[in-house]
Amino acid sequence: MTKVLVIDDEAQIRRFLRAGFELHGFTVMEAENAAAGLRAATMSTVDLIILDLNLPDLEGSEVLERIRSWSNIPIIVLSIHSDEHEKVRLLRLGADDYVVKPFGISELLARCDAALRRHLRSTNRDPVVRAGPLTIDLVSRAVTLNGKRVQLTRKEYALLHGLAAHVGLVVTHKQLMREIWGNHAGNIQYLRILVRKLRQKIETDPTRPALIISESGVGYRLDQGAAGPVQGQRGVSSDTYCT
Amino acid sequence: MSTLEERRTLRELTAPLPASNRDHGRVPYAQRWLGVVAANAIPFVATFVLVWLATISLVFVNYFVPFNLVSLVYMLPVVVAATQWGIGPGIVAAVAGAAAADFFFYPPLYSLVVRDPQHVVDLILFLLVALVTSNLAARLKNEALISSRREGEIRELHAFSQGLATCLTGRDLIFAVQDYLSNALGRRAVLLAKAQDDRGPDDDLRVPEEVRREAAKLIAANAPRPSTVVEPRSRRAWLVRVIAPDILGYGAIAVELGDSPGERAGARHIEKLLDEAIVTLKHLKVKEAIEQATINYRTEILRDALVGGVSHELRTPLASILGSCSVLNQMPAIANDRQVQALIEAIHDQAGQLDGEIRDLLDATRISAKGVHPQLMWTDPTDIVSAALKQKERRLASHWITLDIARDVPLVHVDSILVEQALGQLLENAAKYSPIGTEIRIGSRCEQDYVVLSVQDQGCGLTADERGQLGRRSFRGNRNPVGANGSGLGLWIASTFIAANGGSLHAESPGPNLGTTISLRLPMVSADTPELVDALDD
Repeated sequence: MTKVLVIDDEAQIRRFLRAGFELHGFTVMEAENAAAGLRAATMSTVDLIILDLNLPDLEGSEVLERIRSWSNIPIIVLSIHSDEHEKVRLLRLGADDYVVKPFGISELLARCDAALRRHLRSTNRDPVVRAGPLTIDLVSRAVTLNGKRVQLTRKEYALLHGLAAHVGLVVTHKQLMREIWGNHAGNIQYLRILVRKLRQKIETDPTRPALIISESGVGYRLDQGAAGPVQGQRGVSSDTYCT
Repeated sequence: MSTLEERRTLRELTAPLPASNRDHGRVPYAQRWLGVVAANAIPFVATFVLVWLATISLVFVNYFVPFNLVSLVYMLPVVVAATQWGIGPGIVAAVAGAAAADFFFYPPLYSLVVRDPQHVVDLILFLLVALVTSNLAARLKNEALISSRREGEIRELHAFSQGLATCLTGRDLIFAVQDYLSNALGRRAVLLAKAQDDRGPDDDLRVPEEVRREAAKLIAANAPRPSTVVEPRSRRAWLVRVIAPDILGYGAIAVELGDSPGERAGARHIEKLLDEAIVTLKHLKVKEAIEQATINYRTEILRDALVGGVSHELRTPLASILGSCSVLNQMPAIANDRQVQALIEAIHDQAGQLDGEIRDLLDATRISAKGVHPQLMWTDPTDIVSAALKQKERRLASHWITLDIARDVPLVHVDSILVEQALGQLLENAAKYSPIGTEIRIGSRCEQDYVVLSVQDQGCGLTADERGQLGRRSFRGNRNPVGANGSGLGLWIASTFIAANGGSLHAESPGPNLGTTISLRLPMVSADTPELVDALDD
């Protein structure tokens, strides 16, 4: 069973998270402060951490940094602030993704799912990424849309590759620009135009993008559930991630 | 520490305040009198030097050229002495000049006797003219002195009133008033609070306990006359006067008089100056200023508490309500019960609306307190529209959304979060004020130097009057359909956010019940970058 550790000082939030996660087959551990959270993270085998930023004893970002110093376990951050710089900072510090309060359980589960998949992919090296009607083979660099090959330019593919490697999770503008243009280039205008070109090739309606979703001020996300819930994607079954 | 406080402390440290602060208690009286005589003698000595200089130069000139207009030259020391030091030295210069002219230049030489009647007339005329001139010159000097002092006072008053305007807290204002009074009176003046337990900025000013007690007594008795208190230890006298509550609302004022009998005798003069200063304070409405500053200060504290506390204390429970609803909806037992599901939906919608209202309130509070500071970034308007639609997904669920966005709409240089929120507000309003099932059309177009995003609904429309009022803080139309509730802050926040991005909001409506189109204009900045093609090409 996938074991999730919820670090949040609000009992009510922990309660609904427990209900939501258990409903979808997770085992839940709770911690009401940073100290207990860090202890739980080190003492037991946890597959996923939900970390609230507003903890009474330690800054959430500090907890994040400490866990990252010895583990690459997926961490999803809960935040009530919608400060974009803070989000970018947390992602840089190693958060897999964030969810801004108030949020629905499906939104959080989708993020968890994506983070767990990425973590799993890094161990079992599955080269094919699926996002709705789109499949991207990261090894053969083949992209298909509804089973048909899509011709992409090298930069368009670099962009899609950058997003596909973290499918379902947000990738910052900076990270994408580095992957496409290397270390020297850093013009967001290029990125916007490139995204627009890519959307014209893969989106059903480029003015109403369903695959490449913009996260304002932070980055882009390749949405994995774009064509509605795909079998086995919503709700991670307990036998998918056994530890 | 506030700037005023700093300034005051600095002044106290660097230059001890007026004469009273200086410690002359240990200087013997005789010595002090000598000092006074010396100070007064200098102008007279200088006058004699001037007359002597005039004589020397006359003797020198006379040696080469016989010179008749001797008395004219002696007018010079008279004018100089009278303008520089006043009428006394002026008269001395006149008499000394006449004597010197007679002694050195009128025969018989080197004697004060005059033989020639014409010379007698000369000397008498000289004396007369010299006396009148010195009188006039001295008066001129006096006038100049008075006008320069007035100018100084006006400058001081101007600085004071400007200082009042920049004071942020009541405490700053009290310091400003103290500074002003100290300058006007030439002595240290301290404002004393009404009650001992409600000590203000005076506590650190080393005011003797006796003075405080006397002030409290006078305030309690509301004594009209000032009273003088002598502190037994240092034998320093203080003048204490009650200030009428309609002028300052601050109790009493204590002025340090010093320790010498001469300075204490000056109390009368100080009283008069104090009266004048208090009238000035009354004219300047200092009391109102202090009260306003105090209110502003408290408002700010309250506002910070609201922004900090409310956002956490109110939004966290709402986050658990909304989250719990989302879990409940997925429970197998409930998923099949439509009645329960409808109730959960209702809870979710209402809680969501409440959360939106709280966010609006917080936004409005933040805007009022700190303004809007957009973080500009190149953004695709398509993404702005998508994000706003996603934000209002639930609100728009029962309307028909049509998108009419050009594929090549130019990028805009804006704070996307703010514009999204503004567009979200327009969408919410469209959904709120138009019947369920009608179309809401989102369009984009380029118009001169603007990229325009528009939201068109088929709702209740606007009257000409309503259109004029739109965008005012807390504006809500009177013809709201049933169920359209809200604080009315939303549109104000939206227009503020758009204005901060250099854009504007425009509302159009063919008339009541004919729908509304709200356009959001964003400035177009040239996005043509020469290297763009290279950067995107392979």
